Formats: sequence, C-alpha cells, structure tokens
Amino acid sequence: MNETVLKLDHVNKYFGGVHAVQDMSFTLEKGELAGLIGPNGAGKTTIFNLITGVYDVDSGSILFEGTDITPYKTYEVVRKGIARTFQNLRLFPRSTVLENVMTACQQHYQYNFFEAATHMGRWKSLEGSIREQSMTLLERVGLEALAEQAAGTLPYGHQRRLEIARALSLQPRLLLLDEPAAGMNPDEVQDLNGLITKIHSDFGLTILVIEHHMELVMEICPHIVCMNFGAKIAEGDPDHIQNHPEILKAYLGEEVLEA
Amino acid sequence: MSGYVEGIIILLFINGIAAMGVSLLTGFTGVFTLGHAGYMAIGAYTAAIMTVRFGIHWLPAIVAGGIIAMVLAYLIGVPTLRLMGDYYAIASIGLGESIRLVLENWQSFTRGARGYPGIDNYTTLTVAGAFFVVMALLMFYLIKSNFGRAFKACRDDYIAASLLGFNTARYRVLSLSISAFYCGVAGALMAGFLTFIQPVMFDLNKSTELTAVVVFGGLGSLSGSLIGTAVITLVTELFRPISQYRMLIYGAVMVIIMVARPEGIMGQHELGPRFIRSLFQKKNGPSKALEGSDGL
Amino acid sequence: MDTLVQQIINGLSLGSVYALIAVGYSLVYSILLFSNFAHGGFLVIGGYICYYTLAALGNNIWLSGLAAMVGAGVIAILVERLAYKPIRERTNVTLYLLIASMGMSIVIENVFVVTVGGRFRALPPVIPTDPVNFFGLATTSAFDLLSLAMAVIFLTALQLFLSKTKWGLAIRAASYDLRTSGLMGVNVNRLISIVFFVAGFLAAVGGIFLSVRYTLYPQLGFITIKAFVAAVIGGLGSLPGAVLGSLILGLAEMLTAGFISSQMRDLVVFGMLVLTLLWRPSGLLGKQVSEKV
Repeated sequence: MNETVLKLDHVNKYFGGVHAVQDMSFTLEKGELAGLIGPNGAGKTTIFNLITGVYDVDSGSILFEGTDITPYKTYEVVRKGIARTFQNLRLFPRSTVLENVMTACQQHYQYNFFEAATHMGRWKSLEGSIREQSMTLLERVGLEALAEQAAGTLPYGHQRRLEIARALSLQPRLLLLDEPAAGMNPDEVQDLNGLITKIHSDFGLTILVIEHHMELVMEICPHIVCMNFGAKIAEGDPDHIQNHPEILKAYLGEEVLEA
Repeated sequence: MSGYVEGIIILLFINGIAAMGVSLLTGFTGVFTLGHAGYMAIGAYTAAIMTVRFGIHWLPAIVAGGIIAMVLAYLIGVPTLRLMGDYYAIASIGLGESIRLVLENWQSFTRGARGYPGIDNYTTLTVAGAFFVVMALLMFYLIKSNFGRAFKACRDDYIAASLLGFNTARYRVLSLSISAFYCGVAGALMAGFLTFIQPVMFDLNKSTELTAVVVFGGLGSLSGSLIGTAVITLVTELFRPISQYRMLIYGAVMVIIMVARPEGIMGQHELGPRFIRSLFQKKNGPSKALEGSDGL
Repeated sequence: MDTLVQQIINGLSLGSVYALIAVGYSLVYSILLFSNFAHGGFLVIGGYICYYTLAALGNNIWLSGLAAMVGAGVIAILVERLAYKPIRERTNVTLYLLIASMGMSIVIENVFVVTVGGRFRALPPVIPTDPVNFFGLATTSAFDLLSLAMAVIFLTALQLFLSKTKWGLAIRAASYDLRTSGLMGVNVNRLISIVFFVAGFLAAVGGIFLSVRYTLYPQLGFITIKAFVAAVIGGLGSLPGAVLGSLILGLAEMLTAGFISSQMRDLVVFGMLVLTLLWRPSGLLGKQVSEKV
C-alpha cells in the first residue's frame, strides 16, 4: 500500500499583486519519479521554494509524510527529509568538492561544540565517517577523482553532479531537482537521465523534477504535473500530457492550435 | 629579554587573540563588523573593576571579562544579526560607539572618560602567552570541524546553507558570541598590561584596526589574521615616531588590498606544509586545488 | 514653549543639513547597493576647501562655496575611479567595496590630520549667525534659518535634476537595475561618476554648514554616521526617505539635548538606529529588496 509522501493542498502564493501560485494541489506517492513542467514564469521554482520554506505560503497547506510542514523554517524542512538542488547552482565555489559534500553529510554525524573545539571525544571517528560517506557519494556520481579541487573550477556538468551528490548526502526521502539538465546538450541529458533513474532505484527516493527538456521528463517520469501562470493545467502520464490541448496551447500558443 | 621586547610580544598575543575573534566572525562567518572594540572595552572594564574594586583574582576576572562580553553580544546579536551585510555593519558601529558612550558617561562605576587607573600588572608574558596558546588551539580546532564548515556555509551562501539543514541564524549568533568572548579576554588582558584604561582606547579606530588586520591577513585564514596582526603591531611600533601616519597607513592598506588583492596575504589558505609546497610549485601555477574561481 | 519651538527649529535645521549628506549617501547606495563609508570624507574635503579659499580669496562665501562643492565633487569622482571602479568591475561582492570605502574614509581623514593638523578651525563669520526673531514665537539664529533654506533649495534642485533631465532619468532607471540600464544604452561608468559628483557636491554644502556649527576638524566626517542612521531610518536607497529620516533624527537630537541632556544625544541617535533595524529594517520608505532564489 503506497503512502503519500508529499501533498500540496490548495496552496496559494502572492507576490504583491501577482498571484504566483494559484490553488495548487497535487500528491506524490512514495517512490514516485514525477515531473513538474510548464513555461518560464509558470511558478515551478516558487513551488519548490514554498515546499522548502524559503517563501511562506499565503493559504493552503503542504504535508510531508503526513506532517504539516507549512509553517516550518527551511532548515527544519531539510532536517525532516527533503533536499533540493538549484536551477542556478548554489555550490560553495571556493571550498573543495569533498568539503561541499561533507558540509551536507555532517547533518547525520553530529558531535558537540566541546568535541569540536578540542578534537576530543567523538571528533575523530565521526569526522572519519563524514569523510568516508562523502567520498562514497562522490564515487556514486563519478566525481571522486576531483575531490580536492575547488568546486568553482569544475566544468558545468560536473558542478551539477556535485549539487546532486550534496543533496543526496542529506539522506533525504524526497528529492527536489530544479532544472538539473539546464544548459546541457542531448548527450549530457541522456547521461543525466541515467543518473537520475539510478539514484531513484538505488536510494529508493521520491523525486520531483522541474524540467524544460522534454526528452528527460517524458522519458523518465511516469507522473507529470503541468503548470501555467501559477495554476495546474494538467496532470497525468506522458501520453496524456503530450496530447492535452491546454498544454499545447501553453507551449505553442493558440494560433498554432487553430492552424 | 628586555622589557621593551617583552612588551611587544605581550601586545602581539593580546591583539592576536582579538584578531582571532574577529576573524571567526568576519573571515569565516562573513559578518562584517566595525564595533568589536566595544567587546574589548567590556572585557577590560570588567576585569579592571573586578580586580581593583572587588579585589578578585585576575584569572577569574579575565574569564569573567570574556563571559560578560559574550553575554552582551548574544543579547544584542539575536535581534540584530537578522540584518544582512551593510545593515549589520552600520549597526555594529552604532553598538560599538554606544558601549563607549555608556562607559564614558557612567562615571560612578567606570570613572568616565578620564579613565580607570591603578590596575594590577597581571598580564605577564607567561599569562598572555598561555591564554594565547590555549585560545589559538581551540580556534584552529573549531575551524577544522563541523562548526567550521557550518560557519563557512553561512558565509558563502546562507540560502544554500539553510537548505543543507543549518539554522543560519543560530550559527551567526554563536560565531558572534565566541568572537565577543575572545575580544573580551583580549581587553581584560590589555587592562592588566597597560594598568590604565580609557574608553577612547576602544573606539571606532580600534574596531577598524581589528577588521583591517583580518582583511589584510585574508578573510578565511586564521593564520593570515595572526600574520596580519604581527605585521600591523610591529609596523605600529616601528612607526611610533611618526605615529600620526599610522591610521593613514591602515586606511591605505585596506584600500590597496581590496583593489589589488582582496583575498589578503593568505587568501583562504592556512599557513601549513601544503601552502608552502604550493609556493614552490610556481612553475605549474599554484595547484588548482588551492585557487578558487569566483571572479576574484 | 519658547524652548520647544527653538529646539524644533534647531532640529529641523540640523536635520536639513543631515539631509544633504544622507541624500548623497542614499543616492550612491541606490545605484551601487553599498554603503559608501567614505562619504564623510567628501564632507570634510568640502569644509577644508571652503576654509582655505575663503582665506585666499578674501571671504567671498559664494566663490568659496562653489569651489568647495565642485572640488568635493571632483574628488568624489576620483575616489570612485581609483578605489571602487577596479573592485566593482571585478566582483559582485559588495563587502569589498564596503571595506575599501572604510579604508578610504580613514585615508581622507588622516590626510588632513597629517597635512594641516587636527586642530579645530573656525570659519570666518561669512555666514550670519545673529539672532533672529521668528514670527514672535522664538529667537533663533539666522544661521539655522539659512541652512534650512539652503538645504531646501539644493534638495529641490536635486529633485528637478532627477525628474526633469535625461541623466536624472538614467539615474532613476539605474537605481532599479544598474545592469539593465547599461543594456539600454546608458554609459554606466559615466553615470556612476555623475552620481558621485552629485554626492560630493551635496556633502560639501553640508560640510560647510557643519563647519560653521561645530568648527572644522578632520574627524568632522564622523558626523556622517548620523547621516547613515538617518538614511537607514528613512530607508536605504530612498531619497525622500533620507530627507524624512534626517529631519526626524535632527529633531530627536535637538529635543534630547534641550530637554534631557547633551550627552544622551548620541545614545538616542544610536538607539533609534537599533530600534529601526529591529522593528523595520527597510526603514520608513525603503524598498524591500528580496533575493530571487
């Protein structure tokens, strides 16, 4: 029996006069790999920001594994088990690749201030574990050879993988990927498809992907939600979506439809 | 060892402790402050009043100086650290100056602007050295730990940091509190070294000096801050005959460094075998691992 | 009642001088999004140029004033070109500009300390300070009324410049988004130079009036802190906010000095700063700039 991992219930968000998210509702079951699509400015990233507490919801609620996380602060949402990557990448450019992952990994290997300042107690063993875990994750995404390199000097594609590795090290149960294929060529998108499906099965995660690259979404997401102007205009499997008139209208415009 | 040289070394230890405090807050947590001399003042006056007026031994007095500075910083910090960037810097100037003004006007307790004389000379070379070594060790260890990574995350990208599960507000307040403790202890040691303190010794100029030293040494390098302290303290001594140029030089140093080498002497690196080795690898350019690329 | 009216006028007069300084500072902030701590330096430069030209050209306040304003404006442009331009071309991080401006402020102040010495200088009495009977309500000094009047004139002129001229339009556009205005064909470097010139220009006027009020000395620029506070209270980046904040601050200062004590003045100023930052950090009229995530 499948449990609901994420539930958006009539969520609304206003930015001044702009109704950025309108009465949004959808549900994700455990283990789903779902896609969130829509034209630019549709409100997709805003949804991610609302889920992760970066923005406050104006009305409606968001439930994660049954708990109402609507009032939660960002770090509380993350500690509950949700991780996210960014459209524009938010790595720590001057830290090394390994450090970036360790910074995320340490959430699950906490030691206290006294141990940190004196390097006594559990410091040695927990630091060792953090380092080990981080290296393992880097191996998973194929970046272990670049561990000591400054994150900002990596090629773009590798930076994206690093972001994903970092998000994974938080051991989330829900992973939000914000345009992971942005700026990639078709070959790279194929590689990314492979990576996403691999981590989906290896880690047993529920994943929600925002994407513009249709070849990614249609190929790997059995459940797709489509937005435009802040509202949901369609939801279903790839076939249903591809033939939906509202969606064609949103992407291609009304005149093309008439033609 | 001559008394003069000994005095300089003690001053190096004292300034070094304060610099490490500011380094943690500004260099590692990214909070630019121009009011930390205020915490030195609190430490100094706490220790002075405790030893002179209440006859308490200097060791608990020094620690108390640090603690009271820390508590005050915590109380002020919780509401004000919500402010980002420029706003906090301006607030810190106001706070530092307010502390000085209160000390100057609370004549009955602090003897006001005329200063507080008659402090016992308890800051010997051993005392200053011992405090320095212990506090330096603790700070180096702290930076190389999960807390260090947390502070750096808050500095580099506070939104990303919160999305990695860090309560950035709490870390900023923690960083401020620790930095105030360090400055408080430094101030208390200063009181026992100079045996006479005045509020004007802890004014905006002193705060600026603390920040300049950290910027000069490299934001994000603890050893850099100590090197910066050493350079500035020694240069100040050298320039004593023309000390009116002292501030002019600080100012010029700050500007020149920001224009020519914003990463300071050490950049983000610590002085260690790896760094020294990289200096000799100049042929291949400093190794990629040591240089970042964010437009600097 | 007499004292109250007097202090109110004093407060408005002081506030109007703060306004000249705060507006220039806020203008720079609205374009470059950083606090130019060196702004106080422009003020002091204006004061000293005025002092020395008065001595050299025989107490002609109009000429000296003009020299001071233009001189401060030009030096402001130089400061920007020398210290800020190389930094802003290289990186987006405003912290480096902040630190450089702090350094620049110290440099300017100490250049005067080292060259002309730190002693207090009184300007020759070219600006009348005789008592004036203000509509039978109170006795105030001509100086207060004059400085209020001059501030109003300059601020109105600035407002006209911003709303009616081409460069004024460019500046207003740039305050929304510097990069986009550049893409629309505005010569960004020249615009920034113009903004700095205006900031220096206005600061000099403030500097001259403050020198008469408090005598001239190198650390006079420190008073800019109060203008910063005023700009923050009114809302960083908002020019009407800067004026409003300045007037409020001037009034608060004078009323405190008149009715509580002179020592408490500065504490009240900083207290208001902390209160504003806690209660409403974007100030009274400031715009809430939220970061796009």
